[in-house]
Amino acid sequence: MISQQLNDTITRIGPKTEAGAVLRCYWHPAALVEELESQLPIPVNLLGERLALVLDDAGDLRLVTRISAIGEPAVFYPDSTEIKIEVTGPTYPVMVKKGIAFAYLGNGEAPEFPNFDCFRADDTHVFAFKGLWECNWLQALEIGIDPAHASFLHRFLKDDDQGSNYGKQFRDKVAQTSMPMTQVLREYPRPDINVEETDYGLKITALRHMDNGQTHVRITNQIFPEAICIPMSREMTITQWHVPIDDENCYWFTLFTSFKEPVNKELMRAQRLKEHKLPTYAPLKNRENSYGYNPQEQADETYTGMGMDINVHDQWAVEGMGRIQNRTREHLGRSDKAIIRYRRILRQAIDAMGAGNRNALPMQNGEKIKTIIGPLSNDAVAPTENWSGASHQADLERRAACPWDASV
Amino acid sequence: MTQQTPIPAEEFIDAPTGWVRILDREALEIARPLIPVVLNGQRLVLFRDEEGELGLIGRNCPHRGADLCYGRLENNGLRCPFHGWHFDRTGQCVEQPAEPEGSPMYKAIKVPMTPVEERDGGIWAFLKDGDTT
Repeated sequence: MISQQLNDTITRIGPKTEAGAVLRCYWHPAALVEELESQLPIPVNLLGERLALVLDDAGDLRLVTRISAIGEPAVFYPDSTEIKIEVTGPTYPVMVKKGIAFAYLGNGEAPEFPNFDCFRADDTHVFAFKGLWECNWLQALEIGIDPAHASFLHRFLKDDDQGSNYGKQFRDKVAQTSMPMTQVLREYPRPDINVEETDYGLKITALRHMDNGQTHVRITNQIFPEAICIPMSREMTITQWHVPIDDENCYWFTLFTSFKEPVNKELMRAQRLKEHKLPTYAPLKNRENSYGYNPQEQADETYTGMGMDINVHDQWAVEGMGRIQNRTREHLGRSDKAIIRYRRILRQAIDAMGAGNRNALPMQNGEKIKTIIGPLSNDAVAPTENWSGASHQADLERRAACPWDASV
Repeated sequence: MTQQTPIPAEEFIDAPTGWVRILDREALEIARPLIPVVLNGQRLVLFRDEEGELGLIGRNCPHRGADLCYGRLENNGLRCPFHGWHFDRTGQCVEQPAEPEGSPMYKAIKVPMTPVEERDGGIWAFLKDGDTT
């Protein structure tokens, strides 16, 4: 449990807020490049600011301030002809990386991009998409650094045939075994969780010790301030930002990064367009239709009764907490180790900004940023006595077979 | 209950303190006996356990706030789908399957509960003055 005051401090991100000042030190996904195919300007609602993406006089993309009506809904997507620019308002630089237009809303010079796999992979190997969640960004992030929930929230009571699972989370067979990932998650629900601070945020290791002297090792990452990098299948990783629209809404933006084979972008996009409504990328399953909840399915097939798409499970979990989770009533356990550590880093960053010491924040210390690579993000099964070395080795093998430079 | 919806619509009830008839008994005679109820602005969940007894407890899981009206009705209680925390009809947590084996943490976890009983064909709840649980 934390105080209401602290909950406000770590969740609210508008201009002139403390957490807002921390987030404004970083690049944030503002729009998908596919959105730019419509006529500019397009609206961008980001960090509590009403903005629009335009081409400036030099032909570069830029975010400018948009005039918004009082009471305009948070998730508002006016047509380009209806967008009015506030010519004296703040404007911000934009940089396109791998299908996402990133924006920098901070003061001074924007930091370098780290050399993560999602940025250095060939364009053919990275696919971008986004989706709306109607809740605060922090609870959206926190579910992504909580390795235990997958054993419950994403529990499938039956294991699926692995044939048709391209582009879906947790549907692969576990490396070096014939065991579906769904079975490992179901049968070993109490992972040991190790959390280490890194240059970029946190490395989170979830160990599921199995009966046969083997350990399932799942390595995921928190990338400061609002992203995660996790394995999706043996072939792909997910790098996902939970970008605040305002205090009560956020977008997830994901770069799906493939190691060996190019991403089948057409299939990935078609799968996701079936679940979302443009132009807001609002999910078709939502609070209003009870996320497609089916009590019979909950009894027989899935833990939630909300279908096989794990994004919907996560969306339900975080939206059901309320627009901003009331952390004065929470009771964190051992399974929440990474969440506790993350909040500590965020509070340290808030304090450092208050003391005028921006260089103390992760990835804000100049030249070193470009040397940050990876991060290692992998599922592996290894002998329990050597899980660390074997997990690292499995990642190196995958990287060695990769056509783009994935060396670490 | 004539209509079988996956999650019944929230019942909103504003009433003075004391015992209040909140629903007809038939309202819970549905395949999954669980109804979200808002009593004087407090969001609660009403359910019937396998012993046939009623529970009327806070709507948000005390762990991280997930919405218990989508909980799994099983093992004579209500289980949160987020991390499997299991609650009995009094709101007492009885199991935390993601916490380390042998952890006693669950004993200290209780969802706020509102007294509830059945009589005269109705479901009655006891509303306390200034109840803000």
